[in-house]
Amino acid sequence: MSTNQPPSADPAPPHRGKIAERLLPGGTEPDPRFTLANERTFLAWIRTSLALLAGGIAIEAFTADLFLEPVRKILAVLLLLLGMLLSGGAAVRWIRVERSMRNKTPLPLPLIVPLLAGAGALAAAVVLIFILWR
Amino acid sequence: MPGPHGDPGLQPERTTLAWGRTMMALVTVSAIFLRWLPHHGLPILLLFAVSAAAAGAIYVTQRRRYRASARGIRQEAVDADTSAVLWTAGAAVALGVLGIVVVLAS
Repeated sequence: MSTNQPPSADPAPPHRGKIAERLLPGGTEPDPRFTLANERTFLAWIRTSLALLAGGIAIEAFTADLFLEPVRKILAVLLLLLGMLLSGGAAVRWIRVERSMRNKTPLPLPLIVPLLAGAGALAAAVVLIFILWR
Repeated sequence: MPGPHGDPGLQPERTTLAWGRTMMALVTVSAIFLRWLPHHGLPILLLFAVSAAAAGAIYVTQRRRYRASARGIRQEAVDADTSAVLWTAGAAVALGVLGIVVVLAS
Protein backbone atom coordinates (compact mmCIF):
# COMPACT_ATOMS: atom_id res chain seq x y z
CA MET A 1 0.00 0.00 0.00
CA SER A 2 2.65 2.51 0.98
CA THR A 3 5.76 1.12 -0.69
CA ASN A 4 7.35 4.18 -2.20
CA GLN A 5 10.80 2.62 -2.21
CA PRO A 6 12.06 0.79 -5.31
CA PRO A 7 11.43 -2.96 -4.96
CA SER A 8 15.14 -3.72 -4.74
CA ALA A 9 15.66 -1.50 -1.70
CA ASP A 10 15.73 -3.29 1.65
CA PRO A 11 12.80 -1.80 3.61
CA ALA A 12 14.82 -2.30 6.82
CA PRO A 13 12.14 -4.20 8.76
CA PRO A 14 12.03 -3.87 12.53
CA HIS A 15 13.88 -6.50 14.54
CA ARG A 16 11.94 -9.68 13.84
CA GLY A 17 11.70 -12.40 16.46
CA LYS A 18 13.11 -15.87 15.86
CA ILE A 19 9.67 -17.49 15.72
CA ALA A 20 8.46 -14.86 13.25
CA GLU A 21 11.51 -15.50 11.04
CA ARG A 22 10.76 -19.22 11.05
CA LEU A 23 6.99 -19.16 10.63
CA LEU A 24 6.75 -16.12 8.35
CA PRO A 25 9.78 -16.36 6.09
CA GLY A 26 10.43 -14.29 2.97
CA GLY A 27 8.26 -11.64 1.40
CA THR A 28 8.15 -8.01 2.40
CA GLU A 29 6.74 -6.34 5.51
CA PRO A 30 3.01 -5.76 4.89
CA ASP A 31 1.19 -2.56 5.84
CA PRO A 32 1.34 -2.54 9.67
CA ARG A 33 -2.38 -1.72 9.73
CA PHE A 34 -3.13 -5.03 7.99
CA THR A 35 -0.95 -6.95 10.43
CA LEU A 36 -2.76 -5.36 13.39
CA ALA A 37 -6.17 -6.07 11.76
CA ASN A 38 -5.15 -9.72 11.31
CA GLU A 39 -4.25 -9.85 15.01
CA ARG A 40 -7.64 -8.42 16.03
CA THR A 41 -9.46 -10.97 13.86
CA PHE A 42 -7.46 -13.73 15.52
CA LEU A 43 -8.46 -12.39 18.95
CA ALA A 44 -12.15 -12.29 17.95
CA TRP A 45 -11.90 -16.00 17.07
CA ILE A 46 -10.18 -16.71 20.39
CA ARG A 47 -13.00 -15.01 22.29
CA THR A 48 -15.53 -17.08 20.32
CA SER A 49 -13.69 -20.25 21.24
CA LEU A 50 -13.49 -19.20 24.91
CA ALA A 51 -17.28 -18.75 24.94
CA LEU A 52 -17.69 -22.26 23.49
CA LEU A 53 -15.26 -23.73 26.05
CA ALA A 54 -17.11 -22.08 28.94
CA GLY A 55 -20.42 -23.27 27.46
CA GLY A 56 -19.15 -26.85 27.18
CA ILE A 57 -18.22 -27.05 30.85
CA ALA A 58 -21.45 -25.25 31.83
CA ILE A 59 -23.63 -27.80 30.01
CA GLU A 60 -21.84 -30.64 31.78
CA ALA A 61 -22.09 -29.02 35.22
CA PHE A 62 -25.52 -27.41 35.25
CA THR A 63 -27.94 -29.34 33.03
CA ALA A 64 -28.01 -32.63 34.96
CA ASP A 65 -31.79 -32.43 35.50
CA LEU A 66 -32.46 -31.27 31.94
CA PHE A 67 -30.52 -33.60 29.64
CA LEU A 68 -29.87 -37.32 29.84
CA GLU A 69 -26.31 -38.20 30.74
CA PRO A 70 -25.16 -39.24 27.21
CA VAL A 71 -26.77 -36.21 25.52
CA ARG A 72 -25.18 -33.94 28.08
CA LYS A 73 -21.73 -35.42 27.56
CA ILE A 74 -22.02 -35.43 23.76
CA LEU A 75 -23.04 -31.75 23.74
CA ALA A 76 -20.32 -30.78 26.22
CA VAL A 77 -17.56 -32.63 24.34
CA LEU A 78 -18.85 -31.26 21.03
CA LEU A 79 -18.65 -27.68 22.31
CA LEU A 80 -15.23 -28.21 23.90
CA LEU A 81 -13.90 -29.89 20.75
CA LEU A 82 -15.25 -27.05 18.62
CA GLY A 83 -13.68 -24.42 20.88
CA MET A 84 -10.37 -26.28 20.71
CA LEU A 85 -10.43 -26.64 16.91
CA LEU A 86 -11.44 -22.99 16.47
CA SER A 87 -8.61 -21.64 18.61
CA GLY A 88 -6.07 -23.88 16.88
CA GLY A 89 -7.60 -22.98 13.50
CA ALA A 90 -7.48 -19.28 14.39
CA ALA A 91 -3.70 -19.48 14.93
CA VAL A 92 -3.23 -21.39 11.65
CA ARG A 93 -5.36 -18.86 9.82
CA TRP A 94 -3.44 -15.96 11.36
CA ILE A 95 -0.18 -17.47 10.05
CA ARG A 96 -1.63 -18.16 6.59
CA VAL A 97 -3.04 -14.63 6.27
CA GLU A 98 0.23 -13.12 7.49
CA ARG A 99 2.17 -15.20 4.94
CA SER A 100 -0.10 -14.25 2.03
CA MET A 101 0.15 -10.57 3.01
CA ARG A 102 3.95 -10.82 3.07
CA ASN A 103 4.00 -12.47 -0.35
CA LYS A 104 1.15 -10.35 -1.76
CA THR A 105 -0.95 -13.38 -2.69
CA PRO A 106 -4.76 -13.66 -2.33
CA LEU A 107 -5.94 -14.26 1.25
CA PRO A 108 -6.80 -17.91 2.03
CA LEU A 109 -10.44 -18.92 2.51
CA PRO A 110 -11.30 -19.26 6.21
CA LEU A 111 -11.83 -22.98 6.93
CA ILE A 112 -12.90 -22.14 10.49
CA VAL A 113 -16.04 -20.38 9.19
CA PRO A 114 -17.68 -23.55 7.76
CA LEU A 115 -16.34 -25.43 10.80
CA LEU A 116 -18.14 -23.12 13.23
CA ALA A 117 -21.31 -23.03 11.10
CA GLY A 118 -21.39 -26.82 10.62
CA ALA A 119 -20.70 -27.66 14.25
CA GLY A 120 -23.26 -25.09 15.41
CA ALA A 121 -25.86 -26.74 13.18
CA LEU A 122 -24.83 -30.18 14.46
CA ALA A 123 -25.19 -29.08 18.10
CA ALA A 124 -28.63 -27.63 17.31
CA ALA A 125 -29.60 -30.92 15.65
CA VAL A 126 -28.53 -32.93 18.72
CA VAL A 127 -30.72 -30.75 20.94
CA LEU A 128 -33.62 -30.90 18.45
CA ILE A 129 -33.53 -34.71 18.28
CA PHE A 130 -33.38 -34.88 22.06
CA ILE A 131 -36.38 -32.55 22.46
CA LEU A 132 -38.45 -34.45 19.87
CA TRP A 133 -37.69 -37.84 21.44
CA ARG A 134 -38.20 -36.82 25.02
CA MET B 1 2.51 13.68 13.57
CA PRO B 2 0.40 14.25 16.71
CA GLY B 3 0.48 11.73 19.53
CA PRO B 4 2.48 8.51 19.63
CA HIS B 5 1.67 7.36 16.07
CA GLY B 6 -0.61 9.75 14.11
CA ASP B 7 -2.77 6.97 12.68
CA PRO B 8 -6.30 8.39 12.21
CA GLY B 9 -7.67 4.83 12.28
CA LEU B 10 -6.27 4.38 15.83
CA GLN B 11 -5.05 0.88 14.98
CA PRO B 12 -2.70 0.53 17.99
CA GLU B 13 -5.53 1.54 20.36
CA ARG B 14 -8.02 -0.84 18.74
CA THR B 15 -5.57 -3.72 18.81
CA THR B 16 -4.60 -3.13 22.45
CA LEU B 17 -8.31 -2.92 23.36
CA ALA B 18 -8.96 -6.20 21.50
CA TRP B 19 -6.27 -7.83 23.66
CA GLY B 20 -7.92 -6.23 26.71
CA ARG B 21 -11.30 -7.72 25.76
CA THR B 22 -9.68 -11.12 25.32
CA MET B 23 -8.07 -10.71 28.75
CA MET B 24 -11.47 -9.92 30.30
CA ALA B 25 -12.96 -12.97 28.55
CA LEU B 26 -10.19 -15.11 30.06
CA VAL B 27 -10.83 -13.61 33.53
CA THR B 28 -14.56 -14.33 33.15
CA VAL B 29 -13.90 -17.88 31.97
CA SER B 30 -11.51 -18.51 34.86
CA ALA B 31 -14.15 -17.23 37.32
CA ILE B 32 -16.73 -19.57 35.74
CA PHE B 33 -14.27 -22.46 36.11
CA LEU B 34 -13.98 -21.69 39.84
CA ARG B 35 -17.76 -21.79 40.09
CA TRP B 36 -17.63 -25.41 38.84
CA LEU B 37 -15.14 -26.48 41.47
CA PRO B 38 -17.83 -28.13 43.69
CA HIS B 39 -19.21 -30.11 40.73
CA HIS B 40 -16.03 -31.23 38.98
CA GLY B 41 -13.48 -31.22 41.79
CA LEU B 42 -9.82 -30.30 41.90
CA PRO B 43 -8.95 -30.80 38.19
CA ILE B 44 -10.92 -27.62 37.56
CA LEU B 45 -8.12 -25.72 39.34
CA LEU B 46 -5.85 -26.61 36.42
CA LEU B 47 -8.30 -25.00 33.97
CA PHE B 48 -8.52 -21.98 36.26
CA ALA B 49 -4.73 -21.73 36.38
CA VAL B 50 -4.33 -21.87 32.58
CA SER B 51 -6.95 -19.19 31.87
CA ALA B 52 -5.82 -16.96 34.75
CA ALA B 53 -2.17 -17.26 33.66
CA ALA B 54 -3.09 -16.33 30.07
CA ALA B 55 -5.07 -13.32 31.31
CA GLY B 56 -2.12 -12.26 33.51
CA ALA B 57 0.31 -12.65 30.61
CA ILE B 58 -1.83 -10.33 28.46
CA TYR B 59 -2.10 -7.83 31.32
CA VAL B 60 1.66 -7.51 31.85
CA THR B 61 2.40 -7.19 28.10
CA GLN B 62 -0.24 -4.56 27.23
CA ARG B 63 2.03 -1.49 27.59
CA ARG B 64 4.83 -3.06 25.59
CA ARG B 65 2.27 -4.16 22.96
CA TYR B 66 0.84 -0.66 22.56
CA ARG B 67 4.31 0.91 22.27
CA ALA B 68 5.42 -1.69 19.70
CA SER B 69 2.32 -1.21 17.52
CA ALA B 70 2.53 2.61 17.74
CA ARG B 71 6.20 2.39 16.69
CA GLY B 72 5.17 -0.03 13.92
CA ILE B 73 2.70 2.52 12.53
CA ARG B 74 5.41 5.23 12.66
CA GLN B 75 7.93 3.03 10.84
CA GLU B 76 5.32 1.63 8.39
CA ALA B 77 6.30 -1.91 9.39
CA VAL B 78 5.21 -3.74 12.52
CA ASP B 79 6.78 -6.93 13.85
CA ALA B 80 4.00 -9.56 13.71
CA ASP B 81 3.49 -10.76 17.29
CA THR B 82 3.87 -14.47 16.49
CA SER B 83 4.68 -15.63 20.01
CA ALA B 84 1.64 -13.89 21.56
CA VAL B 85 -0.64 -15.45 18.94
CA LEU B 86 0.87 -18.89 19.58
CA TRP B 87 0.65 -18.83 23.37
CA THR B 88 -2.87 -17.41 23.35
CA ALA B 89 -4.09 -20.10 20.95
CA GLY B 90 -2.08 -22.69 22.91
CA ALA B 91 -3.82 -21.70 26.15
CA ALA B 92 -7.26 -22.00 24.50
CA VAL B 93 -6.38 -25.41 23.02
CA ALA B 94 -5.10 -26.55 26.44
CA LEU B 95 -8.38 -25.42 28.04
CA GLY B 96 -10.27 -27.51 25.45
CA VAL B 97 -8.15 -30.63 26.06
CA LEU B 98 -8.39 -30.30 29.86
CA GLY B 99 -12.12 -29.60 29.63
CA ILE B 100 -12.76 -32.74 27.58
CA VAL B 101 -10.71 -34.79 30.08
CA VAL B 102 -12.72 -33.33 32.99
CA VAL B 103 -16.07 -33.97 31.28
CA LEU B 104 -15.24 -37.55 30.27
CA ALA B 105 -13.76 -38.36 33.68
CA SER B 106 -16.76 -37.12 35.68
